[in-house]
Amino acid sequence: MVNTVLAPVQKRGQANLEKLGLPTRRQEAWRLTDLKRLKAMASLPHVAGADQSSWPSVDQGVTRLVIGTDSDPLEGIQLPEGVSPLSEAELEQALGHTLDRCGCAEVWPVELNHAHSRRVLALRVRGSVAPLEIVLAAGDGLIATRVLLLLEEKAELDLLQVIPAERDNAAAPLAHSHVIEVHLGQEARLRHGLLASASGDTSLLAHLAVEQEPRSSYDFVSVCRGWRFGRLEPQVLQVDGQATTRLNGLAMTGGDEQFATHTGVCFQGPEGSLDQLQKAVAADRSHSIFNGAIQVPRAAQRTDASQLSRNLLLSSQARVDAKPELEIVADDVRCAHGATVSQLQQDQLFYLRSRGVAADEAAALLLKGYCCDVVDRLPSVAPSWLASSAVKDPARPL
Amino acid sequence: MIRPDAELLLDISDLHASVEDQPILKGVNLQVRAGEVHAVMGRNGSGKSTLSKILAGHPSYRVTGGSVRYRGDDLFALEPEERARLGVFLGFQYPVEIPGVSNLEFLRVATNARRDTQGQEELDTFEFEDHVREKLKVVQMDPAFLERSVNQGFSGGEKKRNEILQMALLEPVISILDETDSGLDIDALRIVAGGVNQLSSPDTASILITHYQRLLDEITPDYVHVMAAGRILRTGGRELAVELEQIGYDWVDEQLATEGVA
Amino acid sequence: MTSTSTRDLVSQPYKYGFVTEIETDKIAKGLSEDVVRLISGKKDEPDFLLQFRLKAFRHWLTLEEPDWAALGYPPIDYQDIIYYAAPKQQDKKASLDEVDPKLLETFDKLGIPLSEQKRLSNVAVDAVFDSVSIATTYKEKLAEHGVVFCSFSEAVKEHPALIERYLGTVVASNDNYFAALNSAVFSDGSFVFIPKGVECPMELSTYFRINSGDTGQFERTLIVAEEGASVSYLEGCTAPMFDTNQLHAAVVELVALDDASIKYSTVQNWYAGDENGVGGIYNFVTKRGQCRGARSRISWTQVETGSAITWKYPSCVLQGADSVGEFYSVALTNNRQQADTGTKMVHVGPRTRSTIVSKGISAGHSSNSYRGLVQIGPGASGARNYSQCDSMLIGDQAGANTYPYIRSQQPDSAVEHEASTCRISEDQLFYLQSRGIGFEEAVSMMVSGFCRDVFNQLPMEFAAEADKLLALKLEGSVG
Repeated sequence: MVNTVLAPVQKRGQANLEKLGLPTRRQEAWRLTDLKRLKAMASLPHVAGADQSSWPSVDQGVTRLVIGTDSDPLEGIQLPEGVSPLSEAELEQALGHTLDRCGCAEVWPVELNHAHSRRVLALRVRGSVAPLEIVLAAGDGLIATRVLLLLEEKAELDLLQVIPAERDNAAAPLAHSHVIEVHLGQEARLRHGLLASASGDTSLLAHLAVEQEPRSSYDFVSVCRGWRFGRLEPQVLQVDGQATTRLNGLAMTGGDEQFATHTGVCFQGPEGSLDQLQKAVAADRSHSIFNGAIQVPRAAQRTDASQLSRNLLLSSQARVDAKPELEIVADDVRCAHGATVSQLQQDQLFYLRSRGVAADEAAALLLKGYCCDVVDRLPSVAPSWLASSAVKDPARPL
Repeated sequence: MIRPDAELLLDISDLHASVEDQPILKGVNLQVRAGEVHAVMGRNGSGKSTLSKILAGHPSYRVTGGSVRYRGDDLFALEPEERARLGVFLGFQYPVEIPGVSNLEFLRVATNARRDTQGQEELDTFEFEDHVREKLKVVQMDPAFLERSVNQGFSGGEKKRNEILQMALLEPVISILDETDSGLDIDALRIVAGGVNQLSSPDTASILITHYQRLLDEITPDYVHVMAAGRILRTGGRELAVELEQIGYDWVDEQLATEGVA
Repeated sequence: MTSTSTRDLVSQPYKYGFVTEIETDKIAKGLSEDVVRLISGKKDEPDFLLQFRLKAFRHWLTLEEPDWAALGYPPIDYQDIIYYAAPKQQDKKASLDEVDPKLLETFDKLGIPLSEQKRLSNVAVDAVFDSVSIATTYKEKLAEHGVVFCSFSEAVKEHPALIERYLGTVVASNDNYFAALNSAVFSDGSFVFIPKGVECPMELSTYFRINSGDTGQFERTLIVAEEGASVSYLEGCTAPMFDTNQLHAAVVELVALDDASIKYSTVQNWYAGDENGVGGIYNFVTKRGQCRGARSRISWTQVETGSAITWKYPSCVLQGADSVGEFYSVALTNNRQQADTGTKMVHVGPRTRSTIVSKGISAGHSSNSYRGLVQIGPGASGARNYSQCDSMLIGDQAGANTYPYIRSQQPDSAVEHEASTCRISEDQLFYLQSRGIGFEEAVSMMVSGFCRDVFNQLPMEFAAEADKLLALKLEGSVG
């Protein structure tokens, strides 16, 4: 069923990829990217995922869907009441709509995903439903997965996406390309968490496109760590303002990792609000990049937007590049942004040490406090994953 | 209480120190024995605060001469956390806020580090909660403060009580309280002073760094030292504090002038 | 809004828009190696300078014009520009009385009287007409202190060693497209040299007046403050109204040695083009200060209200330990102006500090972008930066964009950046009016309040002028 809808998308994707070619340094959005790693990722063999052995068992009351394997994610699954798959006709109509509206249908990572995705997990949510977990399976090679979520008016959902990619260094390279489109109907509420914890030779391209109708609420928390090469691009469009968007992110890098978070929020109507907090921790020789764009065109009067980018450098060889970007035309607005780059505070460290806490433990305590601020905001379905993965203890060597 | 044969806890000898290449301490000499309470008074800039930071091992302050022995050991050979674990406690004048780090967890980690050094068993989370609730009574603090981040959103008085709470938990041998009374109203002052008195014993000692007489009304000092220009200029008994309250510090300038120091 | 809409109060006609009729020596349009040699020849320059120009020109030929600024402008035809135009008068006059009266009159009309009786008493002025320096006041008094303040061309003749030592050491010819162009064809500008330990006794100022249409203006300014020296310098400029665009590609280099400080202020009032965006100056400037010595300080203060297209990023390279860089800016855009401006603070040495305060005011259909870079290199331990970028939007057709880049490789450093937007609200205006303050004055008060942090940095004489200038430029834009 899915193949008839996807086939033309795949073809176009492949054609466009060829036309576009790899991104180059001259393109602002890719200026700092390690293009060699990007290329390496794109040339990995295309595989299907497996390996569910180390995953924690599903929490009571939560439905787990696994994508990226050869099998149909919905096979043998009892979807909670209010959640149903889209029909082929509906899928055809909806697929790509949000990407278009957000203006990212033809960016390179999305076309890469178009070219390789063999399935789309497409769900409609009606009313207030039980929590969902979508787990993206891992494998030795490139896995491309795609999700489409339509929340009808007044629907409510807690969704946690997990990309468990921790493997030992000797394992073959693992890469994941993911695209998720979300449409929130009026007054719909989505609490969305993304927990992407990796280690070893791993790459991630994750693109989110979210369309919010008026009076909807979108709360996104992402926690990413350990990816040797990663790029996370949440793009949110408030189609007519009057909606609430909260974006919280934590990106942790160590070793020689490079992780970039590119966010974009556009208000196409008045009275929308944005509260964004992006935190990064960069250790060893890693490179953390943040680019946060906010657009407030003329029609977006009385927008209330604020963005804070906090960056922690743990070593003198780590590097942080932060670029908040505001483009404002409407004048009756409140738009503020701030950014800080620093190391762990000396006087806080000293205070802890003066109470007998050893230097490295003091640093670990402070680091944990810094990270937990965001980690604690993940949707409530996260605890079992946090207990098992390295994210729980961010002070562990990155 | 002064007992000439009590253990010599702290022996500061000709101590010189600087911060940001600016010399502040210019030859401090001080001996503190177990059971004693010493008050160090003086104007701003006399070096009182620097003395306390140097004893605690603050990284911004550098020792440029002299020595300090703590119970016979070279204090400067120890890292700040080692000094704390061995029983040196500094009550800060401006306790720093640490958002994101829970007060309860911080206190538990610190307490266990000290217990471990003393050969006592560490307390687990539940045991510690009971333990700390007992200690809260010493400073009359609400248990709700345990849930918050360290010092975050605490008023001045609450921060100072948090310091004394830590004293109660860590059971230090020598406490150096840096202007613990500053910014406190009389009730908060009484609670803080009460806590310090409750925690003192013949085996411990305190150094109270203060501007004002009123703390010394609540905690009776055995010795009062006046610091100026980085040295201890004069030492006396508790009557000296009363005298200072009456005549102020102008005489200090005169004495410094005769000694040929700026 | 109200019937006495501020929009009606508009467009005080640009009162500097006149042209002075004077004989001018011009060369034919176009740019080639011959033109470069011709320019150098006309100025009778020593060989090192000719080589400097030629090297820059050859490099320029290999470069492509950059197009990344958020600006839209029709392509510049570099062959359709005159690269040398000088008022035909002989060598710089010993006394101002010998200067062509028409020139003196021009500067008079501009409010920069040059004659002995009328000159500003505590500001030394170097008057530059079409890129040629006409006169410099107070030269003797300054010479008593060892201060050299003269036109660049004069400096080449009288202090060639200094020029050779410092020219191009802060902005290399191959730094960027417009710097290369400027290095090849620069006409004149100002040269300032403050010797060791000297605090310059008066403000120094250069006043640029563009007179000819079709000419490109390529000033070159070099200011050197030796150990312990300090100077405050002000740059002002105006131009007549033409309906073609003119190119202004200047280079300013500042060098501060140990314990020296240089304050460079600009109050820019170029012609901005008419309401439809026709005409106006293209202002592409490379301004860079190098805090070469320990504990040195360089401050850039600017009030930008003119020019059709502004593209400038005064920057500081903080090399010396404990050096300080500052940037204070008010950029006003109205009608269809476009501004893409900001600053670069590059921290190289330890314990360096930088402060950025940028205030953008966008009105009409204009577009005002702040683009900044704060870079903390690996050697900059203990470095500190604080940036504040505020935008005031007037009306809902103008845009304010902010792109502050932060790049850090040194954990023992702290970078803090804040930004906010605001507007002049009806409520606030009404409140002031209800206390008896006139409409125009109310607008002016609010804008001044918004810009207070920056105006406080300007030399006294010019702070008042900046206030008035802003008020003038904004008339008619609220409502």
